Amino acid sequence: MNDVVLIVDDSLTVRMDLVEALETAGFRAVPCATATEAKAILEREQPALVILDVLLPDADGVDLLRQIRESANALLPVMLLSTEDEVSDRVRGLQTGADEYVCKPYDTRYVVSRAHELVRKRLGAGGPSRPRVLVIDDSQTYAKALGAALEMEGYGVIDAPTGEEGLRLAADVRPAAIVVDNVLPGIDGATVVRRIRLDAALRGIPCLLLTASDDEGAELRALDSGADAFVRKTEDLVVILARFKAMFRRAAASSEAPATASLSGPRRILAVDDSETYLRGLADVLRGEGYDVVLAWSGAEALEMLRFQQVDCILLDVLMPGLSGNETCQRIKADPALRDMPVILLTALEDRQSMIAGFSTGADDYIAKSGDFAVLKARVRAQIRRKQFEDETRRIREELLRMEIETGEARAAKMLAEAHAAHAEELERKNRELEAFSYSVSHDLRAPLRAIDGFSHAVLHDFADDLDPQAAENLHRVRRAAQRMGELIEDLLGLARISQSDLARSRVNLSALAQDVGDELRSKHAERAVDIAVEQGVETEADGRLVRIMLENLIGNAWKFTAKSPLARIVFGARREGGEEVFFVQDTGAGFDPARAQKLFQPFRRLHADAEYPGTGIGLATVHRIVDRHGGRVWAESGIGKGATFFFTLHGVEDGRHA
Amino acid sequence: MAGMRSQQPILLVEDNPDDVAITLRAFRDAGIPNEVLVARDGTEAMEYLIDGPSRGAAASPALVLLDLHMPGADGHEILRRIRADRRTRTIPVVVLTSSTDSGDRSSAYGNGANSYIQKPVDFERMIELARALASYWLVLNQPHEMRKDG
Repeated sequence: MNDVVLIVDDSLTVRMDLVEALETAGFRAVPCATATEAKAILEREQPALVILDVLLPDADGVDLLRQIRESANALLPVMLLSTEDEVSDRVRGLQTGADEYVCKPYDTRYVVSRAHELVRKRLGAGGPSRPRVLVIDDSQTYAKALGAALEMEGYGVIDAPTGEEGLRLAADVRPAAIVVDNVLPGIDGATVVRRIRLDAALRGIPCLLLTASDDEGAELRALDSGADAFVRKTEDLVVILARFKAMFRRAAASSEAPATASLSGPRRILAVDDSETYLRGLADVLRGEGYDVVLAWSGAEALEMLRFQQVDCILLDVLMPGLSGNETCQRIKADPALRDMPVILLTALEDRQSMIAGFSTGADDYIAKSGDFAVLKARVRAQIRRKQFEDETRRIREELLRMEIETGEARAAKMLAEAHAAHAEELERKNRELEAFSYSVSHDLRAPLRAIDGFSHAVLHDFADDLDPQAAENLHRVRRAAQRMGELIEDLLGLARISQSDLARSRVNLSALAQDVGDELRSKHAERAVDIAVEQGVETEADGRLVRIMLENLIGNAWKFTAKSPLARIVFGARREGGEEVFFVQDTGAGFDPARAQKLFQPFRRLHADAEYPGTGIGLATVHRIVDRHGGRVWAESGIGKGATFFFTLHGVEDGRHA
Repeated sequence: MAGMRSQQPILLVEDNPDDVAITLRAFRDAGIPNEVLVARDGTEAMEYLIDGPSRGAAASPALVLLDLHMPGADGHEILRRIRADRRTRTIPVVVLTSSTDSGDRSSAYGNGANSYIQKPVDFERMIELARALASYWLVLNQPHEMRKDG
C-alpha cells in the first residue's frame, strides 16, 4: 500500500507539479486547494504526510497546522510551503510544529526526498514499540541464535535466508536495522547493503555486516559497501550484540538530531540585513544560484531563527539597528550548536579597523557591500565548500572515534562475559567444595552421636536399679536429643545429595508416584483415616528419583499437618496456567500464616511448634532444591486453619516452550 | 536360634573404639551367642580370617562386618584383599558404615560386598540390626562352602 501525501495549495501549478513528482516516487498524492477541503480529507484519509501552503484562500496554513497538532493526529508530519521568506513566518511555522519549512520556488527533488525522510521517521516513531531487526543469513541455526539474543534485548526479529528475499522484506516492512551475513547463496551481504543504500526509502536503515573470515580485506569491503558497522561472525554473540546495540543507538540518536542542511537538498543561506532593498536583491541573486535563502531583518531575528533551523552559511550585515552584525556574530560563535556555521560579514565600510573588529568576533569572512555580487557569490561558495569539507572531516573523525569506542565496548563486553564465566565457574567450584564439606561433616558427626546414644542406653540398662528417676529421665533426654540430631543430619545429607547428583530426566508418571507415596503413609500409620485423591494420568519429563523424594516430602507434610483435622483430605493434581504445567498438593490441615510463606522453603524454618507437629525443617528446603534443579518454581498458598496448597513446576520457562 | 552356626565367630573390622563397644553391646543385647572378634586394621582382619584359631578364636569367622572409613588400608582395600585371597574369597562380607555416599556404595559392591548397611544412631535400631544380621547370615543364608579347617 502506498503512503498517502495530502497536498494543500491553492496554486494549481504547484499541485500538479507535486502530484506528479510524488506519485513518480511511489506515493499516492491527494491534492486540494483550501483548508476546508483539507480538513475533510483528513477526516477520511490517513495521510502519512501533509504538504501545506502557508497562504490559503480560506485560512492561515499555520492555523491549520496548529489544529492538526492539537488533534488526535498530532504526530502527522507536516511540511510547510511558503512564498514568505521572512524569518518571523519561518519561526512561527517551525514553532507550531512544522517538520519542514520550504520556500517557494522549491526544489522538487528536495521536497520528494524530505517527504521520504519524514514518512520514514513517522513509521519509526509510531510503529511497534519493539524495533524490528531484519536478519539475513542462510544458516538457520545462526539466524535463530542471533534472533533469540536480539529478542532477549527487546527487538522484534524477522529473518530472510537470502539477500534477494531480505531486500524484498526490507522494502515491505522497513526494519529499524538490518544484520546481514556477507556470505549468502545469491547476492552477497555487501551487495545487499549497497542496494539498501541506493534506495531512497531504505538508505537510512543502519546495517551491520557479518564477515565470516579473518580476512582483513573483508572489513574494508564491508565499510566500502556502506555498512554502518561490521563484525566477524566468529566473534562471541555478546560482542556481536554489543556492536549491534552501539550501531542502533547511534542511528537512533542521529535521526533525532535537528535536521541540518540536508546533503541531498539545496544549501540554505541565512541573509540578515535591515535594508529591504539590499536583502531582496541579494536573495534573488542567491536563489538564482540554487540556494534556499532565509531572510531576517535583524540580528535578534536571525538568532531566533537559528534556534529552529540550521543553515549552511550566514550573511550578516555589520551595521544594523539593535544587535549589530559584530555582536550577532559573536553570539553565534559563542554557541556550541551554531559556531560551525560560516559567517560572512557584509559592510559598506571598507576600512581596515572595522575589518579587524569583524574578524575578531569570529567571522569567517568579510565582504564589502556592492552592487556586484560576483565576489559575494564566490565567497559564499568557498565558505560552504569549506563547511562541507569540515563537516566531512568531522564526520570522519567522529567515525574513527565511534569505531574506537565500539571496539572498546566490544572488548569490554568480551571481558565482562569472560569475567562472568570465570565467576560462575569459581562459584560452582566453591559450591561443590561446600557440598562435599557439609557432606563429610554431617557424615563424621554421626559416629559420636552413635556413641552418645549407645552409651546412654548402656548406663540406663546396666544401672537401672541405681539411677534415681531424675537421672534416668535426663539420660533419656540425652538419647532423644542425639537421635533428633541424627535425623537432622540424615535430612541434611539428603539435601546435599540432591545438589550433588546429576539430573536425569525421563518420562515420569507423577500420579503413580503420588499414589505410591500415599499408600506407604497409609500402611505406616494405619490408625489414621486420610482421604488421598490422586488425579490420574499426570505425566511429565523429570528426574523420577528426585520427584519421588519431593512428593514424599509434600505429601508427608500434608499427612503430618492434617493430623488434627477431623476430615483429613489430601489432593494431588495438575493444571495448565499460562501455557505452563503446574502441579499441586493440597491438604485440609493446619495451614500457615501466608505472611510467612516466603520463609517456608529455607532450611530449618519451621512455622509450627515441634511438640505440635514434629519435624526437622529440611523437608521443604529439599523440595525447593529439587524444583530448582529442574529449573521450575515452587510456592504455597494457605491461611491459618485453612489448609495449604503447594504448587510446583518442573520446567524452566525456556525449556517449557519446547516441551 | 535353632541351626545357628553358633560356634563360628563374627569378625568386626572397625577402628573406632566407641563403635566397637556399641556394636559388641548390641550383639550381646540382641542375644546373639556367637563370639564377635574385633580387628582394628586390615592385617589383623586377614590373620583372623585365614587362621582364626591361632589367634585364640574358636573357629574361622562365618561373617565379616566391615567399616569403610579407616586410617591406613581402609575398608575398600581390605575388601579387595579378602576377595583376592582364595581362602577368604567366598566369606560373606557386610559393609557397616556411616557413609551413604553412592560412590562408597558402588565401589563396595564392585569389590564384592554381599550387603551394605548404614549404621543407625539410635541404639535400639542397632540391636534390631544385630538380630537381623545374625538371623539372616548365620541362620537363613547357606554359605558357599562349609570350611573344615577349624
